[in-house]
Amino acid sequence: MTSDEAVAVVGAQPETRQGSWWRPHLPAGLLALPMLVFLTYFFFYPAISLLFSSIQTQNSQGIIGRPFTPVHYARLIHIELYARVFWTTLRISLITSALATVLAYPVALVMVKSRPLVTRIITLIVIAPLVVSVVVRGYGWQLILANGPKGMLNWILMTLHIVEAPVSILYTEKAVVIGSLHVFFPMMVLPLASALGKIDRNLEDAARVLGAPWWKVFLRVTLPLSMPGFVAGFTLVFSLTAGSFVIPAILGGASALMLGNLIEQQIFVVYDWPFGAAIAVVLVGVVFAVNGFSMWLLEGRRLRRPS
Amino acid sequence: MDEHFSGFGAYVLYAITAAMMIFIIAPLLLVMAVSVSDSYFVTFPPQGFTLKWYIKVLQERDFLEAMRLSILLALSTTAGSLLLGVPASFALVRGNFFGMAAMKAFLLSPLIFPALVTGLALLQVLTKLGSEDARVNLLIGHVVVTSPYVIRTVVTSLQLVDENLEDAARTLGANRLWTFWRVTLPQIASGVAAGGLFAFMVSFDNYPVTMWLANSEYSPVPLVLMRQLVNVFDPSVPAMSTIIILMAMVGVMLLEKLVGLRRALAT
Repeated sequence: MTSDEAVAVVGAQPETRQGSWWRPHLPAGLLALPMLVFLTYFFFYPAISLLFSSIQTQNSQGIIGRPFTPVHYARLIHIELYARVFWTTLRISLITSALATVLAYPVALVMVKSRPLVTRIITLIVIAPLVVSVVVRGYGWQLILANGPKGMLNWILMTLHIVEAPVSILYTEKAVVIGSLHVFFPMMVLPLASALGKIDRNLEDAARVLGAPWWKVFLRVTLPLSMPGFVAGFTLVFSLTAGSFVIPAILGGASALMLGNLIEQQIFVVYDWPFGAAIAVVLVGVVFAVNGFSMWLLEGRRLRRPS
Repeated sequence: MDEHFSGFGAYVLYAITAAMMIFIIAPLLLVMAVSVSDSYFVTFPPQGFTLKWYIKVLQERDFLEAMRLSILLALSTTAGSLLLGVPASFALVRGNFFGMAAMKAFLLSPLIFPALVTGLALLQVLTKLGSEDARVNLLIGHVVVTSPYVIRTVVTSLQLVDENLEDAARTLGANRLWTFWRVTLPQIASGVAAGGLFAFMVSFDNYPVTMWLANSEYSPVPLVLMRQLVNVFDPSVPAMSTIIILMAMVGVMLLEKLVGLRRALAT
């Protein structure tokens, strides 16, 4: 670096600070170029191309091309088997996210408002399973829910004489909901905890000082202020559950197929690419709709209007 | 405890929290318990104690090969996503150009896109391109999924960097690269480390992208485990699972040590 440049740097006006290091502006933007090109080529372009295959025709050699046709989408709606998978997926995702909300709220509250040690332990327990393979977690639930007296749950229930004959939960929608809840629970707790942590304690104190009982403080102050975390968590859990494959494959079996499993069957077993692509597009549509709705809720500040 | 919780409400809160903690831990503990069971089938309650299933697993070629592949894949994925993600994070924090917000949304978009569909779409394009080496395909797919995590952690730590220190270094005669290496990088090291660790763990566990791009020759650990789960009924499956759980726990400890869990996961 020459002394001229040094002078130029020292003498830079405060308002040009942005450019003082990566002067001028252009090079800083260029640093994003490799990732931009990479994602365009291996993410954006494939996604668009999948969208196109979903409205094209596959010939007997497996080559996809014209004519354009909406027939694959029509199949998804009209054939009852496929339509049922669609509704099952929505139902499982909705029940899982609703359950996650109700159960995560207390955990997030305790996590945020307890002593540091308790907070730390809860955080660790909530987060740690997140990095354990979903296959392993699904397997754990398979062992717990196993039908017949060898399953852990049945063994406990029968030993305690709560039931006399083993209950069947594995390979039903219930098992898929339980497994999904386990896998995506952290995705609900973390945004909720972060929203709860941002609430000004003075607001709750003020409500209490003014004579509100704890449940009223919760309903009128804490709950409304934590809505952004709730919306973020609900969206995450819903989207992730809707797009899951492993949990329904391990715990749902044939009776609780979800869209992900249907796509896999169409591609790997039936080799029907356009139909598989169409199901994938529908799945993306559902996820985008939920995300769009939650962004609308959050950005419009519709949740924060003062009561 | 805390003055905020009192009365009946507090008991309900603590009861639900405790129940959820058990709910979270139970399946993992059960898997570990069954892995040392001295029986030929996975049963509950586990019987006796033996490490023979671990010995069996550690001699199984499929599992060892998969382990080697998964670790190499996760390492290359980490390198790849850091190489793409760190410079891109710089652009997002330091850049000041038209369409920045849109670009950030684009770079993060693989996070909200169903990974299953990302993998399927990529498979179609890679097949058309004639890219047949599963290892290369897996690497590409994993970098697509993991690089946004790097952006998230590195952008957060870059925003905290004191630019005056960089100006000072430049004034004192350091060139840009040297300034980055000696002044900026140490300040964002924890963000880069967290991003890298995330990339490693996400790649190691990834199923929805991996299932499309792997083949019979190159199958990473999650796929091999899934196959075993369907075909094998002795406690070698829980033994494999336990090894994976323990590896994950090491990852979590590292993350906690390096950056703190809450900070690393902050969105």
